[in-house]
Amino acid sequence: MKNDRPTGDIATALSLVTGATILGGIVLACRKPHVPVKKPQATVAAARRLNRAAGTLAASVLIDSAIEHYRGNFHNKAMITPLVTASLSLAASLHGTADSKGEAHVIRDLIYAGAGLTGLVGTGFHIFNISKKPGGLSWQNLFYSAPLGAPAAISLSGMLGFLSERLRDSHPDMPPKILGIPAGRVIGVMTSLGLMGTVAESGLLHFRGAYHNPAMYLPVTMPPVAAALLGASALGPIRRHGRLTRWWLRATALLGFAGTGFHAVGVARGMGGWRNWRQNLVDGPPIPAPPSFTGLAMAGLAALALLEDHPDD
Amino acid sequence: MSADPFLSDPFAAPRAIGGRAPDVMKAGGWLPMKQHDNNEEVDFVVIGTGAGGGPLIARLAEQGFSVIGFDAGAYFRPLEDFASDEIEQQKLYWLDERIIDGANPIRMGGKNSGKAVGGSTVHFAMVSLRFRPEWFKSHSLLGYGADWPLDWREMWDYYARAEKALSISGPVRYPWGPKRPRYPYRAHELNGAAEILARGAEAMGYQWTATPLATVSAPHGDSPPCVYRGFCRFGCSTNAKQSQLVTFIPRGIAAGAEIRDLAMVGRIETGPDGRATGVHYHREGRWRFQKARNVIVAGYAIETPRLLLASANDRYPDGLANSSGLVGKNLMTQSNQAVFGVMDKEVRWNKGPPSLSITEHWNYEDRKDFHGGYCWMAQGPLPVEWATIVAGSRKRWGAPLREEMMRYNHQVGLKMVGEMLPDERNRVTLTDEVDQYGLRIPRITYSWGDNDKALIQHALGEMERSLDLVGAKDIFRQEDDTNHLAGTARMGSDARSSVVNADCRSWDIPNLWICDGSIFPTMGGVNPSLTITAISLRTADRIKALAKRGEL
Repeated sequence: MKNDRPTGDIATALSLVTGATILGGIVLACRKPHVPVKKPQATVAAARRLNRAAGTLAASVLIDSAIEHYRGNFHNKAMITPLVTASLSLAASLHGTADSKGEAHVIRDLIYAGAGLTGLVGTGFHIFNISKKPGGLSWQNLFYSAPLGAPAAISLSGMLGFLSERLRDSHPDMPPKILGIPAGRVIGVMTSLGLMGTVAESGLLHFRGAYHNPAMYLPVTMPPVAAALLGASALGPIRRHGRLTRWWLRATALLGFAGTGFHAVGVARGMGGWRNWRQNLVDGPPIPAPPSFTGLAMAGLAALALLEDHPDD
Repeated sequence: MSADPFLSDPFAAPRAIGGRAPDVMKAGGWLPMKQHDNNEEVDFVVIGTGAGGGPLIARLAEQGFSVIGFDAGAYFRPLEDFASDEIEQQKLYWLDERIIDGANPIRMGGKNSGKAVGGSTVHFAMVSLRFRPEWFKSHSLLGYGADWPLDWREMWDYYARAEKALSISGPVRYPWGPKRPRYPYRAHELNGAAEILARGAEAMGYQWTATPLATVSAPHGDSPPCVYRGFCRFGCSTNAKQSQLVTFIPRGIAAGAEIRDLAMVGRIETGPDGRATGVHYHREGRWRFQKARNVIVAGYAIETPRLLLASANDRYPDGLANSSGLVGKNLMTQSNQAVFGVMDKEVRWNKGPPSLSITEHWNYEDRKDFHGGYCWMAQGPLPVEWATIVAGSRKRWGAPLREEMMRYNHQVGLKMVGEMLPDERNRVTLTDEVDQYGLRIPRITYSWGDNDKALIQHALGEMERSLDLVGAKDIFRQEDDTNHLAGTARMGSDARSSVVNADCRSWDIPNLWICDGSIFPTMGGVNPSLTITAISLRTADRIKALAKRGEL
């Protein structure tokens, strides 16, 4: 048998990730460090909350990609990549969550940057996979080929972690800023965009499942409202919908966990139910996927707290 | 295993008896079922429980009529009775003795008949396609065959209802024909064989799509999503397949219908006023008589004319509903030729449903020098069937056959479903020999016409070109196969040239109806089951309307 695995692409992928990460590391190592002084506790708390959010997303990606790529038989060796980066991102996030120091950590920074890049490269791979199929960019291939939106989740984890590090790195005497913009606004907008992307992904896959259960409409109705409220707070006046936004984000965080429960019920509806878990866990609805909403909602709550702690309007 | 004999052998004794019927969704489960006395004159007796009979049984019962559905076959429990074994599953076919003749005798069995509660839909390949609208007026619009007395727009509506009732999994956009509503479920993932059809069609510049199939791609009720075992042209042992057995039949029972399994109807009785009075049927070792106000025959293109002809009496010496002389005539089958080849890459064509992709290009393209249309679909015959094709059509035996079988996982194929034209010489008649019930055996006479042969040759050429374009090697043609049936009791708008009217009501006997594939005036170039289901749903609505007007 001829080996038709695209081995060349693995090398490209790995060198891209490694190269970019090393480059990022050099940049980070060369930057001028801030004087390590005691930061306002609220800023560090927000950073730790972002670490926690990044960790939740990383855990979701780790388990989900492990199951899905196992299903794909790891037929391309690059399919191991998200398992490695998600594990590292999870470890960095645990470390960050426990770390109350008011300064960025170069290893965490490196890992988060790597995770962000992995998602981008992964998206490229998944587009390549779709383009090889007859029909190209068609519903059929969006449903069943490598999922277009999935690798973005590890990018989101990396992004949240990276933002967390920037938060720790901010100037001690001023409200935290990222690229000169109030940090709460940056994190709020990015999280809002991330939520919308995740909504698109679950909308596509629930459409594939023909919305056969009315609960499948929840992730395409609740999180968009959360994203809109958060986006409005991040772009406009903060206090107008603060309470509503916070509660809606909390509900969205709960929805992520509820989704896992719904998906567990979905697995039970496969032939043989949970007794046949080895098949149904792999072919049924992905149990680890919904908590990515939880991770993003947690980041949204952190952004909201920053906005409220440092009102700039 | 349970000691209960009703659980162990579906053929030993009827299962739908004693006020209950098998619950096909639960191992060992039962559904309460209403039962009628033979002397009770029920509103409707439906003979046959397949694509034609099943929807009528359910819809009429839901409208409040008393209904009994008869089937000569067994009441199978898919979760318990279906072994993953090609030979064992032949129990689902109608393999009773028949005599076949003509220049191209039709091989009877799995591809054209079923003997089970649920009829052939228990083992059908689930392909659920709509007719091209013009086919309902093929005589006036396309210049061949006969016109149907039905309007395609009305049929479009009933197709949608049939697709909803059977939870058809189909593509988001169907490339041919007028707009249709979205299929209830999304299409299934393509397997290796289906991708090769798609690549071939793209290379030829033809459109292709995922095939609309009656097996769910997501859970529906008690049906789990399809797990792609590939035992699809047999009984589906997971109940993902939306056969009549798991859809309309349980619906009918819930609405108060009775099902009588292992009950062979041998004769329809008529009274002094010429109307049908009931049916003679054989069950539990003896002949019985069930009184009925209306009789609906839904036994498909062989058993339906056989029953009508066998019910001849002094008043109707040529058989029932046969004043036109057309009962049994215009039998049609569909050409089911194939082209097979070998790929370098592993294909594993047996994974998943066998017909996952399709091109209907030549059903909608009229620039050709023959009448009728055809489609072709991806293929995935299981090993025994494949060995039969290689031995039978390719004449391989011994070591060459063994070598051929070694390449099974690399094999690909395209198989057509082609329209054959109606011809009165193709027909079902009765012989003087009798079968196990003492009923006269049908003789099935069939010869291909010149148009049929031209269509087949065109299709074989096209399918071969498609396989050639994707790099298949060692290509060969299977030239001898046919499948689905139709005709023998055609519908029309004139009592002299048809057997039933648009409502499937016979012209001669107002309380005798025929509703199955035998009423097709033309065959069309797609699998007929969805059209039969749609017509059956329409007939149920028409009966409701007629009953309301007191015209039954």
